[in-house]
Amino acid sequence: MTDNAFLEARGIGKQFGGVTALADVDMDIRRGEVLALLGDNGAGKSTFVKVLAGAHRPSAGTIAIEGRPVSLASPQDAAAAGIATIYQELALSENLSVAENVYLGREDVRRILGIPFLKRAEMRRRVGVLLDELDAHIPNPDMPVGGLSGGQRQAVAICRALNLDARLVIMDEPTAALAVAETRKVLALVRRLAERGCAVVLISHNIADVFEVADRMVVFRRGRKIAERRRADTDPEEIVSFITGAHPSLRSLEHLG
Amino acid sequence: MPRSTTSTALKLVILLVLFAAIVAAFGLYQPRFLQTSLVSTVLQFASMLALVALGQALIVLAGGAGIDLSVGGIVSLSAILSMMALQAGAPPVTLPVLAVAIGALLGAVNGILVTRIRILPLIATLGTLFVYGGLAMALTAGGSLSGVPQWLVPFGRGLVGGVPYHFLALVLPAYLAAAVILTFTAWGRWLYAMGYNERSAHLVGIRVDRIRFFAYCLSGALSGLAALVSLAWFGSGRPNIGLNLELESLAAALLGGIAITGGSGGVIGVLIAVLMIVTLKTGLQFVNVSTVWQVGIVGALLLLVLLLDFLIPRRRA
Ligand SMILES: Nc1ncnc2c1ncn2[C@@H]1O[C@H](COP(=O)(O)OP(=O)(O)O)[C@@H](O)[C@H]1O
Ligand SMILES: [Mg+2]
Repeated sequence: MTDNAFLEARGIGKQFGGVTALADVDMDIRRGEVLALLGDNGAGKSTFVKVLAGAHRPSAGTIAIEGRPVSLASPQDAAAAGIATIYQELALSENLSVAENVYLGREDVRRILGIPFLKRAEMRRRVGVLLDELDAHIPNPDMPVGGLSGGQRQAVAICRALNLDARLVIMDEPTAALAVAETRKVLALVRRLAERGCAVVLISHNIADVFEVADRMVVFRRGRKIAERRRADTDPEEIVSFITGAHPSLRSLEHLG
Repeated sequence: MPRSTTSTALKLVILLVLFAAIVAAFGLYQPRFLQTSLVSTVLQFASMLALVALGQALIVLAGGAGIDLSVGGIVSLSAILSMMALQAGAPPVTLPVLAVAIGALLGAVNGILVTRIRILPLIATLGTLFVYGGLAMALTAGGSLSGVPQWLVPFGRGLVGGVPYHFLALVLPAYLAAAVILTFTAWGRWLYAMGYNERSAHLVGIRVDRIRFFAYCLSGALSGLAALVSLAWFGSGRPNIGLNLELESLAAALLGGIAITGGSGGVIGVLIAVLMIVTLKTGLQFVNVSTVWQVGIVGALLLLVLLLDFLIPRRRA
């Protein structure tokens, strides 16, 4: 066990029918650290984070949080364990406002005769504070999400994670659909999350982005974890060679595959 | 209220203009149409449709291609089964509870077919429409069941200040409660969220299937309540009392501004649309247009709304 590890995954495997999406993946995820997952399309990155998010049950392996074994059988289990996931397709409701989205499914309510009446002013205020803290460039928590830019939507999703007191925030390709300026802002948000003591797992195809924010990198290939590097100990070229399978250490593996 | 407010408001304005045009047209053609008793007449006929349309609206709002074609069958069968229960010895005071409970149960069957067995709502409720409606006819051989307790009849026919009891005691509270819940509670947010984007609602932990199942039960219970109104009104259980309610309730829900794709609209518009449809039918009756044509005209109205909904562009992910 590493000191500071928030989550330890061991021997994680996942089969979809005959397809092996993940095989024997070990990973430690640490507080205050941005961990980037890299790999070609279909390498298993999304499947791995979906296991952590409780969206897929692993076919093999164990997960421990703060040293205790856990079962992440549903998104609710993951949320209860402090894991918040921001999916590639953002799970936002465009017909609801920013504040409503931040609280969706976990509303602040006052129960009258058992009916959960929304504490609207309170929720709006809190979301306003969070948006300011993150410097999210969303002027008003009452704005409908349908009218926001891609970067602003990421900010809403991040606010949502923070508001849930998430201790691990997982982001699947948060900058994939963003323009350059927006990407910078989202990456800054990612750093701010880590500085707040959150563990952050980030999936990205963009090596430059990864080298800008990540403390550690893990490369997936064909469902396996094939490399793990601290940023200080590697460079973009090496990481790319792992992703493409050109790295010398992979020759033996390629024969097996 | 951010969600597509402009289009919701616009639909409401169009609805009110259409309503005014209908009243004006009949008034001009037959000035006697605008007598004071018109309000009482329309409200008397509106209650059953209003209750059924509220359930329909909630199911459509909840998304997932939600629709309840069986409402008419539920109304008929709850009326018949609750009367049969009375004939079999159930205490007459239980009639209101029986009608609502049977309706809820029949709605629960729809809920199971849709959320557990995953049959497309259109198909599932088309099936139960025929099963329920057919059963109501078979059990009675097409005849009416008499024996509605006398104390219930004033409730079906009485007026307070020109407004029928059942409209005051059932319809207004039901719509008010629904409007408050949709606007001011977490349940309302969940319904709008899942109606608009089911996947994202599921991902944030909203129990989509459970809520949808509950919506079908509620629609059934409201149909049971409509059955109760019919019993009180006519003093007997009629096996075909729910005829055409699926068409009219759907027309009311969509005219009232509920998007057929779910997640958008409110119930106040639905109530206005109900009143408009009933006014239209009353007017057609007044100028001696046959019931067959009335059904056709409501059907045309439904198509018109769907067409408008299709033509007015909506932003969608
Ligand atoms: N729900 C699923 N059903 C069947 N196969 C899946 C499913 N999800 C992922 N896969 C398969 O698992 C493999 C890994 O996919 P994924 O985790 O999405 O990769 P990545 O996110 O790295 O691009 C791929 O071969 C993909 O086709
Ligand atoms: Mg992916």
